[in-house]
Amino acid sequence: MAVDRRGFLKFVTGVSAGIMVTPVPWVLLDDLSIWTQNWPWIPSNVDGPNTFVSTVSKLCPSCVGMKVRLVGDRPVRILPDDNHPLSKGGISALAVAEAQMLHSPARVRRPLKRSGDGAYVAISWEEADALLAEKLGSAKGSLACVSGDETGTINEVLSAFTARAGSQNFYLMPSEIQPAAKALAAMGGEGQFGYDIENSDYVLAIGANILESWGTAIRNRAAFKDAHPHGQEPTVPYVYVGAVQGNTAAGADKWIAIKPGTEGAFALGLAHLLIKSGASSYASDFSAFASLAAGYTPEKVAELTGASADGIKALAAELQKARRPLVITGSEFGQGTPVGTVAAGMAVNLLLGGLNRPGGVKLLPVAAPVVDSALSRAQMMEKDFVAYLSRINAGKEKAPEAMLFYEANPAYGLPQADKMAEVLAQVPFKATFTTFLDETAMLCDLVLPVPMGLERLDDVATPYGSGSALYCLARPVAPMPANVRPAADYILGLAGKLGYSLGFGKWEDVLKAKAQAMGANWKSLMAGDVFVSTETVGASLSFGADLIAKSLTAKTAEGDFALAPVHKLNMGTAKTAIPPYNNKTIRRWELQGSEIYVAMNGATARKLNVSKHDKVVVSNKSGSIVARVNVFEGIMSDTVAVLMGLGHTAFDQFSKGKGENVMQLLTVGFEPGSGQSVWAMAGVNISKA
Amino acid sequence: MEAKEFKVRWVMAIDIDKCTGCGACMVACQAENNLAPVEDASFKLRVMNWLVVYELSNKQPFPDHDIAYLPRPCMQCGNPPCVSVCPVIATDKNEEGGIVSQVTPRCIGCRYCMAACPYHARYFNWFDPSWPEGMEKVLTPDVSVRPRGVVEKCTFCHHRFMQAKDKAIVEGRDPEALNDGDYVTSCAEACPNGAIVFGDVNNPDHAVYELARSQYACRLLERLHADPQVYYISRREWVRRQLDNYLENEQVKG
Amino acid sequence: MEKNYSLPADHDLFPEGVQRCSLMKFMGWLGFVGIFALWGLYAAFRVLSNGLGETAMDDYFGFGLWITFDLAVIALGAGAFFTGLLRYILNIDPLKNIINLTVIVGFICYSGAMLILVLDIGQPIRAWFGYWHANVHSMLTEVIFCITCYCIVLIIEYIPLIFEQKQLNRIPLLRHIAHNLHVMMPLFAGIGAFLSTFHQGSLGGMYGVLFARPYVYREGFFVWPWTFFLFVISAVASGPVFTVLIATIMEKFGGKKLVSWEIKSLMGKIAGAMLFVYLIFKFADTYAWINNVLPAAGLTFDQNFYSTIYGQWLLWTELGLCGVIPCIILLTPSLRNTPSLFYTAAVLDCIGITINRYVFTVQALAMPVMPFDSWETYNPNWAEWGACALILAYGAIVLSLSYRYLPVFPQERKLNATKA
Repeated sequence: MAVDRRGFLKFVTGVSAGIMVTPVPWVLLDDLSIWTQNWPWIPSNVDGPNTFVSTVSKLCPSCVGMKVRLVGDRPVRILPDDNHPLSKGGISALAVAEAQMLHSPARVRRPLKRSGDGAYVAISWEEADALLAEKLGSAKGSLACVSGDETGTINEVLSAFTARAGSQNFYLMPSEIQPAAKALAAMGGEGQFGYDIENSDYVLAIGANILESWGTAIRNRAAFKDAHPHGQEPTVPYVYVGAVQGNTAAGADKWIAIKPGTEGAFALGLAHLLIKSGASSYASDFSAFASLAAGYTPEKVAELTGASADGIKALAAELQKARRPLVITGSEFGQGTPVGTVAAGMAVNLLLGGLNRPGGVKLLPVAAPVVDSALSRAQMMEKDFVAYLSRINAGKEKAPEAMLFYEANPAYGLPQADKMAEVLAQVPFKATFTTFLDETAMLCDLVLPVPMGLERLDDVATPYGSGSALYCLARPVAPMPANVRPAADYILGLAGKLGYSLGFGKWEDVLKAKAQAMGANWKSLMAGDVFVSTETVGASLSFGADLIAKSLTAKTAEGDFALAPVHKLNMGTAKTAIPPYNNKTIRRWELQGSEIYVAMNGATARKLNVSKHDKVVVSNKSGSIVARVNVFEGIMSDTVAVLMGLGHTAFDQFSKGKGENVMQLLTVGFEPGSGQSVWAMAGVNISKA
Repeated sequence: MEAKEFKVRWVMAIDIDKCTGCGACMVACQAENNLAPVEDASFKLRVMNWLVVYELSNKQPFPDHDIAYLPRPCMQCGNPPCVSVCPVIATDKNEEGGIVSQVTPRCIGCRYCMAACPYHARYFNWFDPSWPEGMEKVLTPDVSVRPRGVVEKCTFCHHRFMQAKDKAIVEGRDPEALNDGDYVTSCAEACPNGAIVFGDVNNPDHAVYELARSQYACRLLERLHADPQVYYISRREWVRRQLDNYLENEQVKG
Repeated sequence: MEKNYSLPADHDLFPEGVQRCSLMKFMGWLGFVGIFALWGLYAAFRVLSNGLGETAMDDYFGFGLWITFDLAVIALGAGAFFTGLLRYILNIDPLKNIINLTVIVGFICYSGAMLILVLDIGQPIRAWFGYWHANVHSMLTEVIFCITCYCIVLIIEYIPLIFEQKQLNRIPLLRHIAHNLHVMMPLFAGIGAFLSTFHQGSLGGMYGVLFARPYVYREGFFVWPWTFFLFVISAVASGPVFTVLIATIMEKFGGKKLVSWEIKSLMGKIAGAMLFVYLIFKFADTYAWINNVLPAAGLTFDQNFYSTIYGQWLLWTELGLCGVIPCIILLTPSLRNTPSLFYTAAVLDCIGITINRYVFTVQALAMPVMPFDSWETYNPNWAEWGACALILAYGAIVLSLSYRYLPVFPQERKLNATKA
């Protein structure tokens, strides 16, 4: 049949009209709208059975307990754990992002070796083994090891390995725990300071950022939560004394501004008033302490710290009135604290009768090491990594032949970070066990990828700040990537190959032994329970008057302005950098593009003749940073607040190249008396850029 | 402009005096609701956050300065400015509980709702969302990922509401009378300070029932008559004063 | 017929008895305009393929240059419906001399606005949801319905003009269609006036109903906020002079008289009268806004302005320099009939309306409503300007083609008779 033009047109018209009365066009339109949500480049959700596993964060310094929600075998959410004593139904801004960090672009996924031209090449574990065995073998007697894990038993494995390699150079990255341990030792005590914040009826934090970053912060905040019923008078007043009206001050019922680094003097001012109104002690050096404190009249303390004399008097009166007051001292940014500052705070607690009583400071037992020739906790606390690097820098000590880093990032996280990196460069061979490609990894000859806390078996033993001795396990909840190896097992294996006997072949056995030493039940720990001990160590502490006196003779910082680094957990740590999901929590006037903002109050800005958004150079002999100004009235006068956690030169697009690292401006000094390296009191000069 | 009556009315009571601005709620929200991370999040006017923590200042010079943090989810207004303006009914306030829905597959991206909302609770997908390679494995199965070109906002973790109702039905309980705590949002759950309380304001057994009736409870921009379902509690007068626009001579509640 | 080589190559397509420039020159002009169109097309390509992140808009400024541009061209394009209304319904006969141009300008403005909207909505593929899932309570639904329907009306009004093209008109079917459509034109003018009034109004209503945005919120009459009426009246107060300005620009470009001064003056008088009405309402509205809306929201007048970019000068410029002054000029015969003053007034009038649309769109969003929020500023980027340039270029092309080939101006032959 022939089709003519007219017939063809009729056919087309007919078909078109026919289609229009069918559902076809509408279905197509509907499909079109569905297609617009299902582009192939937009990921879609994958469902699966839900399970929840309780564990503890190895990433967050608060050691927060957490419940991991898995869909199938994928962890998708980190949720608070109501039953964990370090979570109590809360979670930190860092730990809550941990599941996402499993897939961080900064993760190291296979062993890397630095080639001759400085580039990193992927190698097999066999090659890595061979290289490490060779280098460590030849470095016998001249090995140093640095750990960034403060609470794990892996430190025993690492320190034992170092000892077997003929070296005593095992170090922890600096934090609040070392000065506290040294203070305790100087006061003649044993164990570890524990802070019974839950049972206190008056909490005074001097410097210590207890509601953000100090100690077991999430547990502290649970206590804060209970003490502050909605819309009512707080049942327990929280007072914060510090240079910056940061997150702790925002929650506290009262904020008293003092100059950075004058926490010790402030505490002595309180001690002075308490002694004046009759507080006393049977401690051997009470009279020495009392005569020291006698010099710290409210007026003098006001002059030293910048707080008002009346404010100090009022505070002392409130402390006296309280039945179970607790004083917590520390550094606003969680490191560099002088031992004398901790001791001065403890002295106030002693005067308030706060030792080993509910709501006071407790001395918690510390378990003996389970690994042969491992350092004890007290011995580890004696070791001062910054002092060690300074000695090498000064030529007083030879750089080691080889250095091992375990989840530590000294190239970013130490004061005068660039200087420290230079010192590290003197070490001929460096290897790091790390999850992320951090600044230190970028200095190393060998980068060995380790699983994250969610992928490995690990432990947490009594973190600093905890109110009681406790022990719990981080259990592997996520499948481990193919080419990463748990560091502890690996080192045990390496020890075997090098002929160092550590007494254990398997990491799990070390942990079992540790659990036993702590008095905990392994099965129960593996079920996600937390072992908590109510034991305390009996002691009659002295005031450490001599130490405090010497500490307070420290020179005031150079520069016209004081530097107040601000530490917030949402910014991550030196080990984690800024988690991808946490970028959005950086406040607008903390960072803009790649420019960091530093904050000062209006009076200081006027003094400098700068206004908001002006560019300034903040510098001292250690370094300098260029920043923009944010005017914020919640800062001590003549003080500039700088956010920590920025200025990464490694990691991924979420951290790298954003702002400046405040650590560059922190100058290391050595505390008279204890010899401890300190950097809580830095001075800077500020000029318009 | 009569607000719809609901038997169940989910509200959030946020105690500003307890918020320390740590940001855990914001991160928990992103993870729960599958928001994509961004490389540079410093241009705040372009950064998607269903929940934002604002910083409040009493505007006094040092040392009299005081600070407060105000987490701002979607207010789930009783009389939402955004719902009536949407030309395609992509947002609605209909379901029992009073949550303002956002149907992203229907949204055409005209952004009229964003212009209507004085709380800036609504966000637009300026580009397609993207996750670093592999990170899409952490997406929860509960909330669909949104493409570019649509508006989205906080839903009071509506999927959790559905799950709580399902659970109640399975257990033979009345899904319209959930117990306090059966259904909480991700931010309320995450907050270590207990600053965010969530529940049914019409149910005397829920904590928010009392909290919303506290003398210190105010809502944001109350006088614009949007009738928000988020209550802010603060014992500080200056904070309450910043929750609405007050003329010089006006007294603040509480 | 013998070829006359002094005439342009396409002279057979010209309207009867008029002169046009050479084809080469015309092509050169189109090519020049085409550069702007290409810029806009590139912007459109970027926006459609990558997303609206290519613009300078953000979550505070969900509306920006494009919405301002749309509102402005739609207001200025109101010459079409209003002149149609006067010509066909109220039988003001002299307006027949400019009605064709108003239709074309209206068509360009509306179709251009719709093109911009395609870029401006995040999911253009879902644009039809406006019909499918229509929310009858939304002013924007009213806008979507009216704007699309009115665009169809404008096409219907435009078609007979196209069919009157000399060569096309020889085809009997097209001639008949054109003729019959002409007969029915009062009907379409009526429908157009109805649709256009409503959507000019609903565009204003879109802002007036935003009860949580005190800068634009207005009380109203029945279901319509006052802005509904203000937008209608302000559109008709500027549309007529905008058409006159277009005609004048075309005269300058083509070097020919196209519309007699009497018609222009009449259009100016009409606009002036409407501007007068508008200003009465606008001042009353501003007074009520300051004294009712703002205090009810706890705000003061000063809180609505910020720095230079959103300063009070915008308000005074809009109401005074671009409102009262052009109104006086247009309503005073002696001033109106001074061409320089007349054109100045026309330009000011159009600027005033554009400022009005701008502040309603942008300043309203810039202003913080939450007391702890801050003023934010918005500055459109190249992609947004490019898309606007595309529409302007598109308008120039349509106008140029229409002028060259269609009998747009009935007076052209007579006005230029001496020269010919």
